[in-house]
Amino acid sequence: MFEFLFKYPASVFSKGTFVLLESWPMWILGLGVLAAAIFLGAIVRRQAAGFARMAGIRSGVVWLLQTLLVAVLLLMLWHPALSVATLRPQQNIVAIVVDDSGSMALTDESGGASRRAAALGVLNSGLIQSLKDRFQVRLYRLSDHLERIDRLDQLTSAAPATHIGDSLKQVLADAASLPIGAVILASDGADNSGGVDLETISEIRRQRIPIHTIGFGKEKSTNDVEVTDVQIPQRALPDSRLAAEVHFHQHGYSGAKAKLTLRDAGKVLATRDITLKGDGVEQTESVLFNAGRAGVRTVETSIDPLPNEENRRNNAVTRLVNVDSRKPRILYLEGEPRWEFKFLRRAVEDDHTIDLVTILRTTQNKIYRQGIANPKELEDGFPSKIEELFGFEGLILGSVDAPYLTPGQQQLIHEFVDRRGGGLLFLGGRDSLADGGYAQSAMNDLLPVTLPDRKGTFVRVGANVELTGAGRDSLITRLEEDPAQNVARWKKLPFIMNFQDPGQPKPGAVVLVDALPTTGGRVPLLITENFGRGRTAVFATAGSWRWQMLQPVSDMSHEMFYRQLLRWLVGQTPRRVITSTPKQVLSDEALVKLRAEVRDKTYLAASDASTEAHILGPDGIAESVGMRPDPTEAGVYTAEWTTPKAGSYLVEVTAKRGTEELGRDVLTFRREDGVAENFHTEQNRELLEKLSSETGGQYYRPADAGKLSKEISYSEAGITVRETRDLWDMPAVFLLLLMLRSGEWLLRRRWGVV
Amino acid sequence: MRLRAVFILFAVGLGGWGVLWAQKQFQQYPGVEYENFPLPPDYQEKTEWTRARLKYSSFDVVHPPIRDGYHRWTVDYPRSDRHLMQGVRRLTRIHTRSVEQIVELDGSDDVFNWPVMYAVEVGYWHLSDDEAAQLRDYLLRGGFFMCDDFHGTIEWNNFMASMKKVFPDRRVVDLDNKDPIFHVIYDLDDRFQVPGAQYLFSGQIYEYDGYGAQWRGIYDDQGRVMVAICHNMDLGDAWEWSDDPRYPEKFASLAYRIAVNYFVYDLTH
Repeated sequence: MFEFLFKYPASVFSKGTFVLLESWPMWILGLGVLAAAIFLGAIVRRQAAGFARMAGIRSGVVWLLQTLLVAVLLLMLWHPALSVATLRPQQNIVAIVVDDSGSMALTDESGGASRRAAALGVLNSGLIQSLKDRFQVRLYRLSDHLERIDRLDQLTSAAPATHIGDSLKQVLADAASLPIGAVILASDGADNSGGVDLETISEIRRQRIPIHTIGFGKEKSTNDVEVTDVQIPQRALPDSRLAAEVHFHQHGYSGAKAKLTLRDAGKVLATRDITLKGDGVEQTESVLFNAGRAGVRTVETSIDPLPNEENRRNNAVTRLVNVDSRKPRILYLEGEPRWEFKFLRRAVEDDHTIDLVTILRTTQNKIYRQGIANPKELEDGFPSKIEELFGFEGLILGSVDAPYLTPGQQQLIHEFVDRRGGGLLFLGGRDSLADGGYAQSAMNDLLPVTLPDRKGTFVRVGANVELTGAGRDSLITRLEEDPAQNVARWKKLPFIMNFQDPGQPKPGAVVLVDALPTTGGRVPLLITENFGRGRTAVFATAGSWRWQMLQPVSDMSHEMFYRQLLRWLVGQTPRRVITSTPKQVLSDEALVKLRAEVRDKTYLAASDASTEAHILGPDGIAESVGMRPDPTEAGVYTAEWTTPKAGSYLVEVTAKRGTEELGRDVLTFRREDGVAENFHTEQNRELLEKLSSETGGQYYRPADAGKLSKEISYSEAGITVRETRDLWDMPAVFLLLLMLRSGEWLLRRRWGVV
Repeated sequence: MRLRAVFILFAVGLGGWGVLWAQKQFQQYPGVEYENFPLPPDYQEKTEWTRARLKYSSFDVVHPPIRDGYHRWTVDYPRSDRHLMQGVRRLTRIHTRSVEQIVELDGSDDVFNWPVMYAVEVGYWHLSDDEAAQLRDYLLRGGFFMCDDFHGTIEWNNFMASMKKVFPDRRVVDLDNKDPIFHVIYDLDDRFQVPGAQYLFSGQIYEYDGYGAQWRGIYDDQGRVMVAICHNMDLGDAWEWSDDPRYPEKFASLAYRIAVNYFVYDLTH
């Protein structure tokens, strides 16, 4: 319809520039329109004087219509036209890029045809031939890379991945030496590399190559559940309780029940029954599981297939968890023998993943050390040397007044959290927090609360405890798997013997538990915060021991709480070398990116280290890769390595300064082939449309693809010529003139002044 | 408004009652030796710690035909306790109450609020099955039990008759000199028998056939002493008479040191 009225496709108007071909000056046109307006005004006014029915606004409308008519006619005398760049026939290349990935084999096109068949149908039904009449045509197949093909029957739809951005970059590389005037991309848009980055789009725009896209495949599945992502910590301590955040969506099963299962090498780690939300709604469910013993956990998260599900291969996602064999040491400084000390020690005594070392002021002049590695350790009490304190990963300060620690020790504690990345827990007590003078100490910054400006904040009054909203989601406070049961269990805990007003939580701090004193009111009891590279918490009571003494021997609430709190305290404490990779599971990708953060013995960034990654892979693969310093981040080293085959890989990174070893770290990752194309299989129309619109091309449905042969000529890439297209003879112009004239006539008839 | 005030008062009262119900307040009982012992002025101070004294409900006749008929659990009470509390205050950083707490194995939860417990004259005690079960529960949850002032074979056997009800399968062992319980504050390798006040009149260190001090205990599964048994000695008397110039300082001193070590051991293990 548009082309019928305006003679040319819309793309001509969007790409062309409006010009007037007649060389007469524009001011004459303006003057002519003005003169016509005055002349017609005088005539209309004279006519109106004789007819009362033409008075007022009616004469104005008639004058306007007549003036517009004359203005349009005068404009036509100036010969309006569009100047548009078009590809020179036979001198340009049109690149046809056909998606050859596995998802194109899905049979969700009309009549049960595959996407590949639909694409071939469109291309072979005259499109390629009509293009060949005017251009040279190059065929490419797209997968995780771009490859030129001679014939369409070379397409197999068996490629393991779709990397549209990378493939288009290769087209651009060809365009540097070839007159590529336009690109036609026939794809379902199901990209596995995270989409097309801005850099690629900017490069395409710079070369002015329009990318026309033809989209294949259903835009929405009919019956399918897809696990889109699973978030699990990459590292954990042995026997830690971990939460897997499972993200998924579904179509066709709204309200249905499903089973979410976590497995490690076939062994079920956890299951949970879930109710599916509405179609297309991104749903997130949390499943708790035990990290188990030290080693690598290959956690497969799956939703059991539902009846008549179209694609069952997108129901499961694999992630790796490195369960460290390390045993973090936590130093607990206590200022007085008290019950909380005893029962905290007992709570974690059987926890073989945590090493609790304690210094207790038993008398005015004596300390009692427990858990020390040798008789000399901590002989002089709390560490004064950086190496001694930084050997611990967590620190607990009990009822010990701040002035007991020298200013140097206080500053050391600050650095312990901020620079070392250690965890610091403040316990309530008569010499703790505000009552212990912490507001005036170097540790005040570290507190997740702003301490009250008064003493007497520690009171021996019983208080019940209650989880806050954040506490319901926290792993620290999870005593029961089921969130509702967990809330109820916390409410049933025996009251704590005492509590301390910790003051107001600082911005960014999270309150997990409130105390509800028997005298009334509500006080934050457990508050956590991240600080620098570490984390801090306040547990503002010395009376949680009643959870142990006032409950049956079999009840593990107290033990679980403290173990989880202390694991949180040290679970993420970094070592001197930390290795990471953005993707621990490479789905049909070969390139692994490694990053190592290296610190020296005092945990200052070591930018002068020699860092090397030793990689062991399947079938005896062994390779050493040097890591280069990242110029943007001190102490950070990066490397990229191409995995030769699918399987599990182990990387050990060592960092040395001269002959001194600064540290080492182990990381595992896994490459899986034939997986990526099972996911995101719906047509990503949004990506295809965006790609077209950003590059000056058009998105076409397969049914409309026939128009491409006409519209593809208008391009500024390749070898072009500027052409003008007359506009005066557009049917729309004649229609406008007719409407203006007939409009006036109809109005006159209505007013009875014909 | 009035209704609201009544409701709030009721709620606060209910909360307070709940606390009181679960944890009994201090109460002084008449003892066999002291009926109206003066209370220290700070006896109501809320502190972190006090040592409980077990008020066991029944006792056996172990030296017939002697039938005392008095409450053996109150022997030395409360003078011994008050002296001991002062000693703990002075010698440690434990935030100590000036008075003891009397507890019973009566089936209520109160005893669990006082995780360290002392009993005297346990050579006479007689625990019912319920009392034994509650004491077992108390110890396994983390409580610590110290007993003292019983002498000779007969009293030992009677003590064990009830202790076997508490732990039928756990062995009573001699505490090794190397055990931390003898070193947590004071190194107490050289211990000796501590006699009761009868020593002032008889000059005899032992009673009945209890010729040598026996430092015994019962360990839990983690190797921590949870029952500390002081057999053939009378630490209670040593604390009680520590302010009497006639009672030898060396006995009183050891008694305090033992107590301090035991209590700090409990608070650290």
